Amino acid sequence: MNFAMALDYQSCINCRACEVACKTENGVQLGADKQRIWVGMTEKSIFGRPFVNFYPSQCNHCLDAPCVDVCPTGSSYFSIGGMVMADKKKCILCKGCMQACPYDARFVDDKYVAVDKCTFCYDTRIVNGETTTACQATCPTKVRLFGDLDDEEGELVELLKSRKFFVLKEEMGTVPKLFYLFPENDRHFAEHSIGHDTTIHTWESFKPIIEKAKAKRRSQWKSI
Amino acid sequence: MEKYLVAGVEINKVSIKELLFNKTMLFAYVFLALGLWGAYEVFVHRYFFLTASAHDAGLLSGSREVAVAMKEAIFGAGAEVRREQPWTLYIVNYMYMIYSGSAIIFFVALAEIFNVEVIKKTAAGFMTFGLAMVFGGLFTIALDLNVLHMHWMFLTPNMSAGMWLMLPLYAVYIPFVIFEIYLLITKNTTWTKRIAYAILILSIVIDVIEYYIQAKLFDMNTARLYWTTYPVLTLYFIISAFVAAVGIMILYAMVVYKDKLKDEFEKLINFLRVSALYVIALLAVYEAVAYLFIDKKLAGIILFGEFKLYFYFYLFLAIGLPFILEFKRHSSRLWIVIGAISIIIGTYLGRYIFVYGGNAYPMSDRFDTGFQKYREYEVAKEVIFFNPHFSEVLVVVGSIGVVLAVYMFIDKLFSVSKIREGH
Repeated sequence: MNFAMALDYQSCINCRACEVACKTENGVQLGADKQRIWVGMTEKSIFGRPFVNFYPSQCNHCLDAPCVDVCPTGSSYFSIGGMVMADKKKCILCKGCMQACPYDARFVDDKYVAVDKCTFCYDTRIVNGETTTACQATCPTKVRLFGDLDDEEGELVELLKSRKFFVLKEEMGTVPKLFYLFPENDRHFAEHSIGHDTTIHTWESFKPIIEKAKAKRRSQWKSI
Repeated sequence: MEKYLVAGVEINKVSIKELLFNKTMLFAYVFLALGLWGAYEVFVHRYFFLTASAHDAGLLSGSREVAVAMKEAIFGAGAEVRREQPWTLYIVNYMYMIYSGSAIIFFVALAEIFNVEVIKKTAAGFMTFGLAMVFGGLFTIALDLNVLHMHWMFLTPNMSAGMWLMLPLYAVYIPFVIFEIYLLITKNTTWTKRIAYAILILSIVIDVIEYYIQAKLFDMNTARLYWTTYPVLTLYFIISAFVAAVGIMILYAMVVYKDKLKDEFEKLINFLRVSALYVIALLAVYEAVAYLFIDKKLAGIILFGEFKLYFYFYLFLAIGLPFILEFKRHSSRLWIVIGAISIIIGTYLGRYIFVYGGNAYPMSDRFDTGFQKYREYEVAKEVIFFNPHFSEVLVVVGSIGVVLAVYMFIDKLFSVSKIREGH
């Protein structure tokens, strides 16, 4: 198994139901900055006409995650399914992982005085037989799709085969597993709204990158 | 003064009053008291901060504590650590204390190898002060971490992490420096002299390893382009730490050796003054070259953006002013002292820029698609920067108390600041 998520971010209406669902499902600390997932906003303009982009996001569960490398106690680790997990009881609050993460995906849970992050709802839903994360289940516009990259016939891989996509900050070399689907209908707008250096991928172009990173890190995957 | 002789080391027979309640110690206690106040504030905020989750809100709906926690979550200033700026003044002070303290030790070892007589005579005092600064740095970082979970460093270590490598490093480094000081102050000179040279060489190797590990700690943070694109970080840390170290050594010499060294004092100050000129010139060259390599956006923010005032003050205080003041041999020592103080403040600003500048960007560009808006009706933020919290400032003041207390305690017992002939 190699869990990942695709996001049709142009369908996001910024209702933030996903943020609420995540907090409710996983018992995440309340507070505006205490988020495992969030809807980010960026401002842009085309010919002086401003617009806002919504980027639903969370931990990218990178296959080659730098946060795991910098953790001195093994609190951050790769779990089965290629997820990046944080064991709160081992966290010494060095905050190295927060610094190393290119996606600002971690925060301090003040109840446990430890770093917290998205778990793809593994401990609250997936392990209980659910097939969706809370954020996916609650989204009214079906932005997110959680699935297994190893399942070639699965819904996620089928979607990635049928659509172009990009990942965030690919140049960091972390091999993130949040796939942002490139908008099909308004290509001109989409090209302006994302970074100029962003590479648009197909499943064929990105699969070897995944395979390579997985081979590098597979031996570090631990049971939860 | 009456003395005990233990393993070749003379230990002064001092009264408790003289050991713990001398003038310097009283200063140290004032600083320590402020530091403990800061630590108390930090710990209250960290360990007793009322929090609530959606589960609490559902299951304990009548609870006053949950109500207060929810109010805090909505209207409060937030908890101790901001997600956008995880490393703050603690790290600045840790870097400053540890790097500068180690640089003093490194510098003294080098001077001894090159047979600088006046440094050889004063080496024990300088090294002890350097060691005390290392303890000051460790005090700061201990308060930054969640000490209740520290045992996991031993139980499930990740030995390739820069942070973990600090542990064996200091486990070796601190006893090693203590051994060096022991060799300097010991009376058993026959065998100590025989191994002294080897120990000096080894200490330089350990110093370089230390700076390498410190650089690795920053360089591993993939997301922070300021740190990852800074060229040859190890070398930068060594040069900048040497500048700070020389400033501190001049000030220390003025306070401790002005009367003790008599005629040779001029020689010591002159040696430190000339050393300062060399390392300041090196730092100036490094800073001029480094910004050609640093990530362009970050260099722009530091040189012309949010951090420009900090940066210009850093250049002025750490490089420009001291270079002018120390360049000329003054009849008045006041100018040399002002130069040293300028170096100390300037190099501290340099560390500040390094840590806060590293945080400032690119986390504001969380998606690599443009700067992020943090609230619906706010403009997008180009740079993330928050001033340090008051309790952190108090902890920093406390760390100065630690330095003074550790140094004075050792000096009172072992007279490390005594001028030693024949080493």
